[in-house]
Amino acid sequence: MTNVLLYAVHLFLFPGLLFIVVMGLLLAGIDRKLVARMQNRVGASILQPWYDFLKCCGKETIIPRHARKGLFLGAPVACFVILISAALFIPVFGGLSMSFEGDVVVILYLLTAAGVAIIVGSAASGSPFAGVGLSREMVAMISYELPFVLVLLAVGALCGQDSAYGVTFSMDEIVRWQTENGSSLLHPAMIPAAIAMLFVIPCEIGMHPFDIAEAETEISEGTLTEYSGAPLGVFKLCHCVKMYVMTALFCALFLGGLSTGILLVDALLEVVFCIIVTFLCMTVPHAICARFKVEQVFKFYWTFVSALALISLLLVWIMR
Amino acid sequence: MLQNMIDSSMKKSPWIFHINAGSCNGCDIELVSVLTPRYDAERYGFKLCGSPRQADIVVVSGPVTMQSRERLRRTLAQVPEPFCVVSLGSCPRSGNVFKGSYAIDGPLEKYVHVDVSVAGCTPKPEAIIAGLAQAAQLLEEKRKEARK
Amino acid sequence: MSEFISNFPILAIMSLFLGAFITSLLGRKNAVVRNVIVFISMALALIMMLALIKPVFIEGKVIGYWLGNWAPVADWAIGIGLEVDALSLFFGLIITVAVFVSGTYSFTYMSHDDSLVNYYTLFLMLSGSVLGLVLSGDLFNMFVMIEIMTFTAVALTAFRNTYEGALEGALKYLVVGALGSSSVLIGTALIYSQLHTLNLAQITALLTNDQNIVTGIAFAFLFIGFGTKAFLFPFHPLAADAHAVAPASISLMISGVLTKCGVYGIIRLVYCLYQNIDRPFVQYLVTAFGAVSMFICVTMAFNQHNFKRLLAFHSISQVGYVITAVGLGTSLGLASGLYHAMNHTIFKGLLFLTAGAVQHMTGSLDLDELGGLSKKMPRTCILFLIGAASISGLPPFNGFGSKWMIYQAAFEKSSQTGNVFFLVVCVTALITSVLTLASFVKVAQSVFFGQLNPKFENTKEVPLAMRIPMWILAILCIVTGIFPGSVANKLLMPAVNAATNTRAYVSAMMGEAYAAAHQVVHAGAADVQLIGVYSPMSWMLLLLSITSAVCLVAVLGSPEKKKLEPVVGANVPNGPMTPGSIPVTSQSREADERELITDDLDPKYESFFSGEHAEYSQVGGSDLFWGFKKNWRHYFSFMHEWHSGILNDYALYGACSLALTLLLCVLFL
Repeated sequence: MTNVLLYAVHLFLFPGLLFIVVMGLLLAGIDRKLVARMQNRVGASILQPWYDFLKCCGKETIIPRHARKGLFLGAPVACFVILISAALFIPVFGGLSMSFEGDVVVILYLLTAAGVAIIVGSAASGSPFAGVGLSREMVAMISYELPFVLVLLAVGALCGQDSAYGVTFSMDEIVRWQTENGSSLLHPAMIPAAIAMLFVIPCEIGMHPFDIAEAETEISEGTLTEYSGAPLGVFKLCHCVKMYVMTALFCALFLGGLSTGILLVDALLEVVFCIIVTFLCMTVPHAICARFKVEQVFKFYWTFVSALALISLLLVWIMR
Repeated sequence: MLQNMIDSSMKKSPWIFHINAGSCNGCDIELVSVLTPRYDAERYGFKLCGSPRQADIVVVSGPVTMQSRERLRRTLAQVPEPFCVVSLGSCPRSGNVFKGSYAIDGPLEKYVHVDVSVAGCTPKPEAIIAGLAQAAQLLEEKRKEARK
Repeated sequence: MSEFISNFPILAIMSLFLGAFITSLLGRKNAVVRNVIVFISMALALIMMLALIKPVFIEGKVIGYWLGNWAPVADWAIGIGLEVDALSLFFGLIITVAVFVSGTYSFTYMSHDDSLVNYYTLFLMLSGSVLGLVLSGDLFNMFVMIEIMTFTAVALTAFRNTYEGALEGALKYLVVGALGSSSVLIGTALIYSQLHTLNLAQITALLTNDQNIVTGIAFAFLFIGFGTKAFLFPFHPLAADAHAVAPASISLMISGVLTKCGVYGIIRLVYCLYQNIDRPFVQYLVTAFGAVSMFICVTMAFNQHNFKRLLAFHSISQVGYVITAVGLGTSLGLASGLYHAMNHTIFKGLLFLTAGAVQHMTGSLDLDELGGLSKKMPRTCILFLIGAASISGLPPFNGFGSKWMIYQAAFEKSSQTGNVFFLVVCVTALITSVLTLASFVKVAQSVFFGQLNPKFENTKEVPLAMRIPMWILAILCIVTGIFPGSVANKLLMPAVNAATNTRAYVSAMMGEAYAAAHQVVHAGAADVQLIGVYSPMSWMLLLLSITSAVCLVAVLGSPEKKKLEPVVGANVPNGPMTPGSIPVTSQSREADERELITDDLDPKYESFFSGEHAEYSQVGGSDLFWGFKKNWRHYFSFMHEWHSGILNDYALYGACSLALTLLLCVLFL
């Protein structure tokens, strides 16, 4: 009985649903505030994403005539659920997660599946703007997938070098290795991979310089053109949750093993590191860059970022 | 309680959709300037959005030309409830210097109930912000009314 | 009973072949009689294959059967033998299930066509030959079955010969297919000249310690011959041409069944006959062929405008995955290859059937023309999405399980050997998976989503008789995806063990003493350890619980929506309302009615077109992904020139690859 209760707490409260949503909203708010401060503005309140979400819930939901109703409404929920379950596999400091062996690939695929949910939803809305948006979303996905995979392989090869197979796809294993040998960011071979990961994060989330799929001025919000009301709110919430998922993934991959053993301190550490990563990889590019073109994004990721990740992978290969 | 929270966040996160109904582009530029660091309307939660489906406040500039009339009507119909309409500048209200032209089928009031009207040719950014803030207040009231 | 069960393999083959002849004799007059005969022979074959599960998979027996009781005399196998081990049966099961589904689908799908007796006769002969190929214990018999298979498949490809390109596709298939068949024949002849036998078990035993340059050349011929049947690179353009014009049920057969014969042949060749998969050269050869097919075909699929052509390229791409995994030479690699081979038949069959459904109801397969069919064919759309999610490897469908095993096998191999080649293969596999996803997004958007082409306004949902076979495959997709552990233990491991345990294979046919005399290696049970036990059930539960929590919140929040609804309703114009109390838009409504065009459709629910009147504008097939294509334009234009569509060129590519493989085998094997 206590086990079930503990499980429920894990699922819905602490590393689970509530914590993830709150963290996501917090990170999004902080990002918005920081961008404003960097542009010498006052900026919206830190709670702004929360207000946005609530407001969207209070609006009417219009289902366009060309839309396929079930998929149109189901996609945001699916996206949200997939993201939450992806987040549950990512250990908070101190390894609190639903981790199982080989979950790295599952996380990779769940993130892809979340992107697919957005694509299916926008395709189901039947709008040509959404059609353009989804194609861009897909191109963005192809773009970051290669460096992302290489980064994961590099970390897996580093942290699994003592295991029987020479590689690990398990988050627990990665964190454990870092607890014993120090954070992988301190390993010289990992620095290019960490930089590559910092580039992957904003594109995966669709943050400003890489938000080609939701370019509001060019293609009328692209994938979200026909969304209104609560489904829109859920998509916006997904966006926030994705921020947490990706930054937490960065922390687990590169800054794992810094656990103090005290739950509260660990959670706070997690928050602090997430904010730092958010600042580095999202706020700064957002404040200083204009939006990329579609083909630029692709080229950038498949040359520069992939090369960084590849260097890391080869370094690990050589140094072990 | 949740409902009250939603009500109060109505006014804190108004997203703006801008329709140019044949404006000379003067008001449009001023509207964008409102979001720049100098005036920074984002501190009230204002945000420009690209689709009428996501809009809370529809800002209409221009004297409603014959060409834009149907587009305006159609776009306004696509905005989800509750929403406010703000007319920007003198044109949508009176036709301004274009009044009486064969190409004009104004004023805006003919097509939609205008909640807030910001006068001027062009209005000052401060005035625009004041008008938008007023519209944001109206949004909350509208939702409360709709709930009753 | 065990005596009787050893007759099942030949009976299963015979039921299909006999069904073919009886159909052509009796089925001319009455369609019902014909369909019943076809159904019975398919069902019989399926049942017999299922009955073999118990002795072969569970008890681990190898069933040998000598036709006419021509058992070997003085250790020389003269007679024709059938030999069913778990590997054969694994493919036999895949084939009979696919045949069954394809046949039942044909009953409705083909109902508009003429001379159906010919269709079903050829169809059953094709099925019988394929089954005969995988159950055969005799190399020459395999060649005969390949010939029957190729010619019936060619005839069926051109069955709808009024279609543009049908005869062209069939001709290409015929010529290049004949190239493959003759190379199998040459390989067989060379082996016979060296070893004086054609029995697989005996060849295995004799080849164990006696491989010379001639058998090496025979290996190259056989490999390329089976590779042709699997449409590996550079034979893939044929498949595209053949698939695009063949009826969908035949596309299912070509992609789901015929290519599996090639895969089976290659596995038999490298694991069993030559037992040379441990040699790095063979691993490189097989894996390189697989990886190149996998990648080139997925990029080719990107540019297709025809639904079934696109699926055809994906089909080769997925077979490339299988061959890559098989070539890794580890038991995990083989297991994942077999798993993916099975999954490929299931999800690709499903996708071809949905393509057939679309073609059946709209008469078109053009991705630039179709669109918005999800409103008209909602059930087909769901089925398509299941298939697309499977092939793209999204959890929890079966493609995820098998692809994940393949990545793992490739990476494990690379880190065990410290070889960068396998790492490249692993990354290629991952990238291919994303590109697969992208091109299925393209299909989904340009066929099922977006806007409905006015041309297809009257499209209807496909009849139930066509949906049932599709549902069978869709359910298989989900079941094999959710229980990968049981699939691995019950189906894959016996097959892997059978493939590696050549000793048992030889002794079943030639006797234990013979196997011992030739020092056939006795491999123990394969030991496959998954790095991660992928168990979708646990996180399916997780997903379920979160979904229910979200739904709960949504339900709690719903009263507010109900209150909003009257306001929404009030916007619909039904008579004048008193000013002041009315919501905002009703005024615009009144204004509309007063002086603007009366539109019987409420513009509120139209798609947003920047204010324009909604019109047909579909972002279709070739317009998507230009950001990707632009960066790859040199590659694509090279590919465009390379796939010239000229038969001579394709034959030349085939000959070149054969020559190259021969050279390599002479040098390194």
